[in-house]
Formats: sequence, structure tokens, C-alpha cells
Amino acid sequence: MTTVSASAPPASRASTRSVAPLGRLAAAEIRWVLRRPRTLVLLGLLALVPIALGVGIALTGGPGDGDGPGLVAAVAGNGLVLPIAALGLALSLLLPLTVATAAADALAGEAAHGTLRGLLLAPVGRVRLVVMKAAGVLTVAVLAVLVVAVVGVLTGLVVVGGPSGTMITLSGTTLGLGEALGRVALVAGWTIVQLLAIAAVALAVSAFTEHPLVVLAAVLGGLIVFGVLAAVPSLEWLQPLLLTSGWTAGADALRDPLPLDGLASSTGRALVYVVLGAAVTVWQMRRRDG
Amino acid sequence: MGRRSWVGAGLGAALVGAVGVGLLVAPAGASAAPPLPPVSPEDLVSSVMTAQRGPFAGEVEVDNALGLPAVPGVPQLADGTSTVRVWSGGEDRGRVAIPSPDGERTLVSDGTTRWAYDSRDRTATRAPAGDHGGPPEGQQQDPTAAATQAIATLRQTSTVAVDGTAEVAGRAVYQLVLTPQPTERTLLREVRVAVDAETRQPLQLTVLAQGQGEPALRVGFSEITYGPQDPSLFTFTPPPGTTVRDAPARDGEQRPEGDRPRSTVGDGWDTVVIGQAPQPGDGRPRDGQDGQDQRPEGAPDLSALGQPVSGPWGSGRVITTAVATVIVTDDGRIAAGAVPQQVLTEALAR
Repeated sequence: MTTVSASAPPASRASTRSVAPLGRLAAAEIRWVLRRPRTLVLLGLLALVPIALGVGIALTGGPGDGDGPGLVAAVAGNGLVLPIAALGLALSLLLPLTVATAAADALAGEAAHGTLRGLLLAPVGRVRLVVMKAAGVLTVAVLAVLVVAVVGVLTGLVVVGGPSGTMITLSGTTLGLGEALGRVALVAGWTIVQLLAIAAVALAVSAFTEHPLVVLAAVLGGLIVFGVLAAVPSLEWLQPLLLTSGWTAGADALRDPLPLDGLASSTGRALVYVVLGAAVTVWQMRRRDG
Repeated sequence: MGRRSWVGAGLGAALVGAVGVGLLVAPAGASAAPPLPPVSPEDLVSSVMTAQRGPFAGEVEVDNALGLPAVPGVPQLADGTSTVRVWSGGEDRGRVAIPSPDGERTLVSDGTTRWAYDSRDRTATRAPAGDHGGPPEGQQQDPTAAATQAIATLRQTSTVAVDGTAEVAGRAVYQLVLTPQPTERTLLREVRVAVDAETRQPLQLTVLAQGQGEPALRVGFSEITYGPQDPSLFTFTPPPGTTVRDAPARDGEQRPEGDRPRSTVGDGWDTVVIGQAPQPGDGRPRDGQDGQDQRPEGAPDLSALGQPVSGPWGSGRVITTAVATVIVTDDGRIAAGAVPQQVLTEALAR
């Protein structure tokens, strides 16, 4: 009786609730993603990257003259470079691993548990399902980059220190705290876009398989193959197609005046990957039935 | 959802990918030659010499296929493409940034002092601006007469022509072309200089070698903007933590150059320069290889390059690149020129 009285106008409620709001779906998915222990563990491990780097440099005074891996050498006594160097290091493998894990869980993982079938049968459009899953992966990508950047800035300022809260650029100029933080934010945003490209491809692979490991293997294997292809001189014409070949542009943020060409072209390349990955994911999810 | 719409979605995705990749890959457009009033080579060269050099900012692209042996520390010399950023404030003020993937070399001149900063070892080298060669001698003369004279000298050995117009870095340019006379025995086929039609500033230099379709060397602006530049670009304050050094006096570098007997054989394009190879312990930095010249084994290192050759003139090693040949003989002579090996051996045998 109470149920009947509570649902007094059943017809109108059915019509207004026939489509669940996308925000609520995404929020549910994000809550679900962030409750996974592996996501939290990965984010925690990512926070250790700038800390380890900063403590190591503060203890040893950084690599010797000119023989360290470039950007890391630039961190010594120049703490605000730390987040940028840490993002560059993490972008080569750890950050892609993080988003690939999230993307693998999003579709292939659900399929492996048999829970994807329920989602496909639920009265939620397939495109909305993909958007909801993508929101979860996007959240992980943004959080991962933010964790590295914020912990990097704090570690840089506290542990490495620097010339009174300023950043020395590769060009030998000195930037104030505000502009230095702006540069860090620029690299963080650029890194997020590069990660979205990987996430989109990972989601596309995830849509085709029900084994999460396949997604991880495809993404990490793909990155290694890209690295090998970029190293072969006779395949130089391939460079503009490879996502990874634009990743040296991250160091451009440390030059003064700021050159935007490399950052812009690598962002454009990443957006092409995002569009292609998203299109393939939607296409495959519309025809997937289990 | 029919199969048809999936195919449509797939085609759409492929199209987006193709267009996106095409936009990224496409070179900056080979555009049609802009129409410009005709100009004689003499007028073009004299206008280049009289032109006011205003401030500008740009990117210089070096497209190198010279085939030089790799020299550590100077990646710009190795084959490949590299980009250098350039700012000029006029009045001897300028800034050059030579980026590498994880560092940068910066050269700044504020008119009185030249700074060279290397981000990798965080050293700044300081030198007074005055002693870097005097003003070009041509400035004292009447530029028109100088240009006419220069072209007359060139015409003895080359064909000088203005070969139409083109577009470099979005600017309309005249192409000044130097072609060696057929009697010249040289490895070079053609040297082209692109001159901005409006500002008369040289924008691009292209060197073409015999038997090669692609240029052996192309140095030129890929981007240029004329106009006042931020004056702070032309000052340099060594950042904290930098080792500041004064550049060694330059006359120490020049003296051995003058002492060494040096002769030229031939003229024009097939000039061969014969000199003495730097002996170990000369104290003259060679090829940016720090410490190499301090070792007594400095000389074997040089002779490790190239192929062994011998002839009536003696024996040595020949280093061949796309545009030049160098022979280092075992008795310490060096012959070099933009010529085939045979011309060098003839000059050495003389």
C-alpha cells in the first residue's frame, strides 16, 4: 500500500526516468573505479616516483655533469623542474600502465566477470555505456597525472629546494613561482591528453576481448613497438604517425621563450588517436553481445 | 542498428584518422611561385648588401645530407634535420637557441658581451663582443660597386642568375643561383640563395651536389616574423648555480692558423687548400672532442676516419662527403676542396 501511494503517478515517473542521467551513471562508474584497490595502489605508487626522484637527487646532488638522463640532471638545485621530469619519466611506462589497467577493467574486465552482459542488457544505450566507462578511465588518467604533478611540486619545493621558489629554464632564464607553476600545469595538461590517446586505444582493444591481460599486453607491447620503430632510421617517414615520437615535446615547457610547435603537434596527434580509439570502441560496443 | 550503419561508422572513423594524420604529416605546402618584378643579379646582390637588418624572430631548419662523420657534441653536423630558434634585435643583439631533446645551448649577445649557456653542464661562457671578427669589409665600399665586382669575379667561374621566385617561410623570395661553369671540376652542382623580395634578407641557402636529387645541405628559415622583439631576450643573467667562465682569448686560436704554411691550388670552384694537419699537443680544440687533443694519440684518432689511399704523392686517408673531399697524408699534410678525389691527388702531387 505504501509503495502504491509513494508511486502515485506511475505513468509520468516511467516516462521521466526512462533514461538515466549520464552524470549519475558516470558518477557511479567513477565511484566504482576509485574503490578498486588496484587503482589506489597504482596512484600511490605513482606518488612515489617524484618522491624517489627528489630524495635521490637531494642526497646525491644529482647525476654528474652532463652524463645523467638530461632532464633529471636539470632538477638538481632546481626543484620546480622535478614535476616535469617526473611526468616525463612516468609517461614512458608507468602512466600508460595505469590507464591501460583502468581501460582493461572497464570492458574486458567486466566481460571476464560476466558482468558486462548485465550492462549490455540494461536499459542504457551502448554509446552512453561507452561514455560512462570512458569517464571512469578519464578520471584515473587525470588523477594519476595530478598525483605526480602535485607530489612533484611539493617534493621539489620541500626536498630539492631551489633558488627561492623559482625555476631555471634550459635556456638559462629564471621564471617566477607563478609562471613556473603555469609551466607545470601546461605539461600536466599535455600529459593528460597523451594519456587519453592511450586510454582510447586501450578501450578499443578492451571492447574486442574479454581478457584484461590482452589489453595490458597490447598497450605496453604497442608502446615498445613504437619505441623500436622510432629507433630505426630507415623508418623515419613513420615518425609523424607514432604517438610516442612527440613525447620529447614535454621538455619544451622548460625552454624560454616557450615553443608551442612540438606541444601542439603532439597534442593534435594524440587527438587523432582519441577519435579513432573512441570510434572503434563505440562501433564494437554497439555490435557486441556478450 | 543495421550492418550498414556500422560500416558507415567505421568508414567515418577511418576518414577522420586519414584526414588527421594527413594534416599532421603534410609538409608546409609547396606553393606556386609568387609573381615578382624581375631583378638582375647585380641589383639583387647590391640590395642585399645595402638592406637594413631589422629585428626579427624565426626558426632556422638545417637539413643536412653532407655525409659528415658524426662529431660528438655537435648534433647539428650529423645527417638529419634539426631546428634552431633565432631572435635578432638589430644592433648586434641576438639570441640563438639550439635545442637538444633534453637540453639546450643558448647563445646571447647583448651588443657588448656574448654569452654561451649550456644547460647540460650549467656553464655560461662569457666573451666580449668586439673581437669576433671586424665589420664586413664590404660595408666600407660602395655596395653597388662591391656587388658588381663580386659578381664579375664569380662570373669567371660560374653562371650567376636569378632563377625565378619561390616561397620560403611564407615570404616571397628571389632565387639567386650560382652554377659552376662546365670546365670546373667540382662536386657541387648548384648553390641557391633565397632572398626575401621585400626585406632583401637571405632566407635560405641550398647546396646541391653532383648526381644527387636531394640537396646536400639546406639551411633556411622555416618561420620568420619581422618586427620589434622583447628586449629581455637579448640580456643574459647567469642563473644561480651556474659556473661562469671567461672564454679563452681568441688570438691563441688564430696564431697557429697564421703560422701554418697554407697554399691553394686552382681557383674558383675547384680550389684545393693544402695545409698542415694539426699535430698532437697543438692545444687547439678539434671537433669539439674535449680531451682528445691532450692525448698523444690525438693524431691516430683523426686518421681513423676515411679510407686509405696512396699514389705518386704519397699515401694517406681520404674522407669523402657529398660536397667535399679531404685527404690527410701520412706526412701530415691536409688537402681539402669541393672537388673529386682526383683533383686533390693532382694538387698534392704538384
